[in-house]
Amino acid sequence: MERLGLGIAWTALIIVILFLLLPILVVIPVSFTEATVFRFPPEGFSLQWYQKIRNVDGLLGALWLSAQIAALATGLSLLLGTLCAIALVRGAVPGAAAITTFMVSPLMLPGLVLGIAFLQAMREVGLRDAWWSLLLAHVVITMPFVMRTVLGSLAMFDFAMVDAARTLGCSYPVALWRVLVPNILPGFVSGALFAFIASFDNYPVSMFLVDVRTKTLPIQLLNYLEISPDPTLAAVSTGLIGLTVLVLILCDRLVGLRRMASI
Amino acid sequence: MSATAIEAPALPAPRRRMDPLGLLALPGIAFLFVVFLLPLALLLWSSIRGGEGFTLAGYWRVLGDEYYRGVILASLQLGLVTTSGALLLGYPAAFALARARGGWQVLLFALVFLPLTVSIIVKSFGWGIVLRRDGILNWLMLNLGLIERPVRMIFTEGALYAGMINVFLPFMVLPIYSVVRMMDPRLPDAAATLGASPWFRFTRVTLPLSLPGVVAGVSLVFSLAVAAYVTPSLLMGDRYMTMSMVMAKAFLNLRDWQLGAAMAAVLLAVAAFVVVGASLLQRRLGGGR
Amino acid sequence: MAALRQAGHLTVAGAAKRFGAATVLDDLSIAVAKGEFVSLLGPSGCGKTTLLRCIAGLLRPDSGRITVAGRDITTLPAHKRNVGVVFQNYALFPHLTVAENIGFGLRAQGIRPAEAAPRIAEALALVRMSEHAGKPVTALSGGQQQRVAVARALVVRPSLLLLDEPFSALDRKLRETMQVELKHLLREVGITAIFVTHDQEEALVVSDRIAVMNAGRIEQLADPATLYGRPASLYVLDFVGQSTRLAGRVSAGGGGLVSVETALGPVRAPGAFAPGSRVVVAVRPEAVTPGAASPAEGLNRIEARVREVSFLGSRTQLHLDLPEEGEDRGVVELARLPEGIGPGSPVTLSFREEDTMLFPAA
Repeated sequence: MERLGLGIAWTALIIVILFLLLPILVVIPVSFTEATVFRFPPEGFSLQWYQKIRNVDGLLGALWLSAQIAALATGLSLLLGTLCAIALVRGAVPGAAAITTFMVSPLMLPGLVLGIAFLQAMREVGLRDAWWSLLLAHVVITMPFVMRTVLGSLAMFDFAMVDAARTLGCSYPVALWRVLVPNILPGFVSGALFAFIASFDNYPVSMFLVDVRTKTLPIQLLNYLEISPDPTLAAVSTGLIGLTVLVLILCDRLVGLRRMASI
Repeated sequence: MSATAIEAPALPAPRRRMDPLGLLALPGIAFLFVVFLLPLALLLWSSIRGGEGFTLAGYWRVLGDEYYRGVILASLQLGLVTTSGALLLGYPAAFALARARGGWQVLLFALVFLPLTVSIIVKSFGWGIVLRRDGILNWLMLNLGLIERPVRMIFTEGALYAGMINVFLPFMVLPIYSVVRMMDPRLPDAAATLGASPWFRFTRVTLPLSLPGVVAGVSLVFSLAVAAYVTPSLLMGDRYMTMSMVMAKAFLNLRDWQLGAAMAAVLLAVAAFVVVGASLLQRRLGGGR
Repeated sequence: MAALRQAGHLTVAGAAKRFGAATVLDDLSIAVAKGEFVSLLGPSGCGKTTLLRCIAGLLRPDSGRITVAGRDITTLPAHKRNVGVVFQNYALFPHLTVAENIGFGLRAQGIRPAEAAPRIAEALALVRMSEHAGKPVTALSGGQQQRVAVARALVVRPSLLLLDEPFSALDRKLRETMQVELKHLLREVGITAIFVTHDQEEALVVSDRIAVMNAGRIEQLADPATLYGRPASLYVLDFVGQSTRLAGRVSAGGGGLVSVETALGPVRAPGAFAPGSRVVVAVRPEAVTPGAASPAEGLNRIEARVREVSFLGSRTQLHLDLPEEGEDRGVVELARLPEGIGPGSPVTLSFREEDTMLFPAA
C-alpha cells in the first residue's frame, strides 16, 4: 500500500517533468531543420534559421527594447522597493501589514486588467508615448517580486549584527556595507532576476501599451507566429531557452535555486 | 512566477512610535498609488459611467447577454478543468519531489522550475509543434501503430486543456512541494504506532497537513487560468472565447470601453473572490497550528 | 521483580541492521520482562533509536527476530503491532486538538465515538490535562505536550511503550520533575516501557535496568547499582557516573589480586592480568578518602602534590603531580572537598583495594 503510493507519486513526477519539458524540448530540433515547415522528425541539419534571425523585421529591435524595459523597470523597483522595505522593517510604520499587501498586490491581479487599466489612465492624462507607458507599467509588474524577496531577507536579518560590527570599530555606513549588504544580497539578486524575467516575458500588460514602432519581444514573437510561422521562430525560441538555462545556472550558483523558488 | 505568491512575508510587530526611516516607504507607495491604484479605480469607474451619468448598462450587457454569460462560464470551466488536472498530476508529483534526496532533488526541482521561466510564447509555440497534424505526437502514435492516419488535435478542447495544464502545472507543484517538504515525517510514523493503516494515515494526517499547499496551489492556478489569454488564443483562437479575450477584443478592436471595463470588473471580482477565499481558508487551516 | 524478569515480555534476538556500509545494529539481543522499565543508554549513533524503531515497526531489521508476549512481530507493520511510542519532540498532530490527538489511535482502530469518549476523558484525567482538552496542541507548554504524547500512546492500551528521548525537549528543572512524574504514572498503569536516552542521570532515575549501548551492541545490561558499582567495561565506566582513572602496567599478580604501576605510584586491585599487561585502574569518588590514613592491609595509598583544585559542587577534582616534578600525573575525583588543600599542598589519598576496579586498557 505504501509502496503503491510512492510508486504513484514517482510515476506522476516523471510524467509531470516529461510533460513540462516536451513543448520546450521539441523547439530545439525544429530549429536545426532544413525544411521550411516544422515537421517531425526534422529533416537534415542546417543553421539557416539562425542566420535568418537577423533579417526578421523588428526582432532584434524588440529584443533590445524588452531588455531595456526589463532592466530599467527592475532597477526602479529595486530602488523604490528597497527603500519601502527598509521603512517597513525598521521604521515602525503604522499599518505595515496593509502596506505590504498593497505593495505585492499587483501580483494577484489578472495581467490583462492591469494593462487595460493602465492604458485607459494613460489616455486620460494624455501620455501617448509607448516607451514611457511600458516602463511605468513594468515597474508595477516587477515591484511585488522585489518587495517580497527584499522584505523577506531584511525581516530575517538580525540588526544586532550591525551593532556588533560598530563595537568592533566600523563606522555606521561601513557596518551597513560590510554586514547588512552581504546578508541581504541573495534576496536582492533573486528578486532582481525574477523581476527581470517577469518583465521580459510579459505579454498581457504590454499588449495594450505597444504601438507600431515600439514592440516588446513577446508581442513581436506572437505577431510573427501569427503572420509567417517558420522555423526562424524555433531558432529564436532555442536562443531564449539557452539564455534562460544560463540565467538559472547563474542563479543557482549565486543563491541556490530552491531559495529562489520560495520567494 | 512566485510559488507562494499569496502570503506576504511576516513583519515584526511595530513596537515604538514611527521612525523617520518610515518616510522611506513614501516614494514606493506614492508610485503604486498613482500608477496602479488610480488606474484601477478609473477602470471600475468607467464600467459604471454612461453617456449621462451612472449606469449599469455594461454589467447588464455582460451578465444579461447569453453570449457573454457563455464566455464567463467557459472561462470558469477552463479554470476548473485546468486546476483539477494540475492538482491530480501535481499533488503526487510534489510528494515525490519532496521525498527525493540530495542531488536528485536539486535536479528534479530545476526541471520543474525551468518551464516557469521559459516564455509562454515559446511554450505555446512548442505545443503547436507537438500537436500538429505532422507533429511529434501524431508521428509517435503512427509509429507505435496506435493510429493509422494523423489525428487532428490542435484547435480541439482537449489540446487546449493539455496546453493550459502544461503552462500552469508548476504553480501547483511548487507550493505543495514546499509544504510537504517542511512536514514532519514522524507524524505519519506516530499515526502508524497508534494503529492507523496507511490509508487512514494519508487521509487523516498527511492530507490535512498538506492542505495549505493545496489551497495555495489551487487558488494560484485557478486565478491564473481563468484570466489566461495567450494560451487559449494561440491554441484555440476565436473558437474558445475567454473573459480575457473578450476584454482584449473590446478594447483593441471594438473600442467598446464600457463592455471591456465591465468584463474586467467581473474578472477582477472572480480573482478577488479566489484570493480572499484562499486567505480565509489558509487562516482557518493555520488556526490549528 | 526477579521472578518476572525471566519471562521475556519483549525479546529481540540477533537483530542486525545496516545502512549502506554502516552497521547500526550488530547481532543485538535483549529480553525485557513484563512491567519492567529498561533504558537504552548510549551516545548518539550507538543504534539505540534504530533499535527502538525496529521494535516499533518503523524499520525492519535485516535479520533477527522480535517477539512481544510470545508473538513474533518481526514482519508485522507498525500499525498492527500495538506498540505505543512517545516520540522525541512528541510528534503531536498540529492540525488536531489535545483531545483529538489523544483520540487519534482509537479512531484509527475503528472504535465508535461513544465508546472512545470515556477512554479519552480517562486518559486526559490520567495526565491531568482535562481542562486543556479543546486546545490546539501548539498552544501547550513543553511539559504539557509531553503529557499529551504519553496519553496518546497509552490510550490505545499498548502491550509495550517506547519512549524516544522523552525529556530532551524540556529544560533541566522541568525534566527532573517530569522524570519522577512519568515513572510514577507508568508504574501505576503497569506497562512495560523502554526509554531511549543519552543522559545517564535520566537512565538511573527512570529505569529498573539499563542497557548501555555501543556501536550497535549492548555493552552491559544491569540494574543501576550494578552498572555503577561493577561496570563491565571501560566504556560503561566512562558512560555512567564519575571516576578517577589511572593508566598503568601490571607489575605482579596472583591470588586474585594484581599490582599495577601507575603514574602516581603502585596500586593493588582485584583481578587477573598477566604481568606486563596495560590496564586502567578506576575508583569512584565516594570510595576515596583524603587525609593521612595510616598504612593498612587492603588499603591503597597515593601521595602526591596538588597542582589545581576544581570544585564542582557535589564533587571535587584534584589535578596531581609528584613532589619535585612539574608534570600533571592524573586527575582524582573526590566526593568531598578536603579542608586546607590548595595548589602546591601535599596530599595523601587512600581507597580500599576491593573498591578499586581494573580494566584492560582501550
